[in-house]
Amino acid sequence: MGCKIVKTATYLPEKVLTNNDLAIEFNRWEPEKIEAKLGIRERHITAKHETAGDLAFNAAETVLDNYDKDRIDMIIFCTQSPDYFLPATACILQKKLGLRNNVAAYDFNQGCSGYIYGLAMAKAFINSGIAENVLLLVGETYSKHIHPKDLANRTIFGDGAAATIIEKQSREQIYEFILGTDGAGKNNLIVPNGCFRSEYDENAIEITNNAGDIYTDNHLYMNGPEIFNFTIEAVPSVVNDCLLKNNLTLEEIDYVIFHQANSYMIEYLRKKIKIPKEKFYSNMLLTGNTVSATIPIALDDCLNHNIVKLGDKVLLCGFGVGYSWGAVIIEV
Amino acid sequence: MKKNAFIKQLAEFCEFSETDFSFDTKLKSIDGYDSMAIMSMIAFVDENFSIKITATQINALSDFNSLMNLLGKEKFEDD
Repeated sequence: MGCKIVKTATYLPEKVLTNNDLAIEFNRWEPEKIEAKLGIRERHITAKHETAGDLAFNAAETVLDNYDKDRIDMIIFCTQSPDYFLPATACILQKKLGLRNNVAAYDFNQGCSGYIYGLAMAKAFINSGIAENVLLLVGETYSKHIHPKDLANRTIFGDGAAATIIEKQSREQIYEFILGTDGAGKNNLIVPNGCFRSEYDENAIEITNNAGDIYTDNHLYMNGPEIFNFTIEAVPSVVNDCLLKNNLTLEEIDYVIFHQANSYMIEYLRKKIKIPKEKFYSNMLLTGNTVSATIPIALDDCLNHNIVKLGDKVLLCGFGVGYSWGAVIIEV
Repeated sequence: MKKNAFIKQLAEFCEFSETDFSFDTKLKSIDGYDSMAIMSMIAFVDENFSIKITATQINALSDFNSLMNLLGKEKFEDD
């Protein structure tokens, strides 16, 4: 028994925030320099009442177009900006998408490694006989977590969603996974307040960092340099371990898609791991870092533009908030 | 590595607007010394010295001298 990714689709909110917009608002940096360094020119941002669930719904509608939606028997939704504490957004999406009642539906909380975790769960459910056709959704709206005066994070992150259908089949086309965690890094990418460990504080003090970015404990905090350190240490091993577990070499891999964190970071990792440039996806120019959605957005782009072809072996690797990481090789 | 060459190469790698600094130039006074520059500094040190330096260690640095001390005085020669 095995499974395969059979369809992908993406959705980005309509509103676009460009580097020029940010340069006018903050008057602190040159848009061209930022684009050259981070590989980001613009990002899509949700409207005030537009949620990750809405983005995922739109991506799901597209992926289910020309697909018999009664075949879907499981919805898995990954987000760190859910519509509600409860119920799970996946349950709401089941009804909104008009899927049958005897589908399993649940959310899980994971960030940049989320798509890899989602694929791992889809594979596990299919290969254990619990599900046959899984709708994997990822949707993220980090813009809602970011302080309006935090230029650095508003530059990096964009909102977006992706939908993937994974189907049971006789041959395995989602190979072996490497998954990992180091909770010691929790404070380096966190929204401290708002849940029950530390509730939302309407009098939270504004903190200004050396670069002039402002945030409070109600907002997203990211220690970029420490995250970079984590990736330098973790990602080369994850890639190597994933190749070893699958008895493959980098030369046998047709294409590599990393989480699109920012182009500076992933280009550094590419060189460190010695992945040939022509085998490596780097494109977040018009989306920014959409967290768990970057890998499926990239995969969708690759499939739509024949960057990867039928039969290609593609290594996917996600890493970030948690710290959490994962890698897998898929056969297209 | 020669000390002056180290400072020049690091400044170029970090894309500071100038590269002519003295050993005791205060890092935080450099135009463009932000989180991206710190990331570049981490990358430069990883690539050239295979040493991991944390953001906390970098934040505690005062000038180029203190960075060279952190990396190990024996790795640098006077010009």
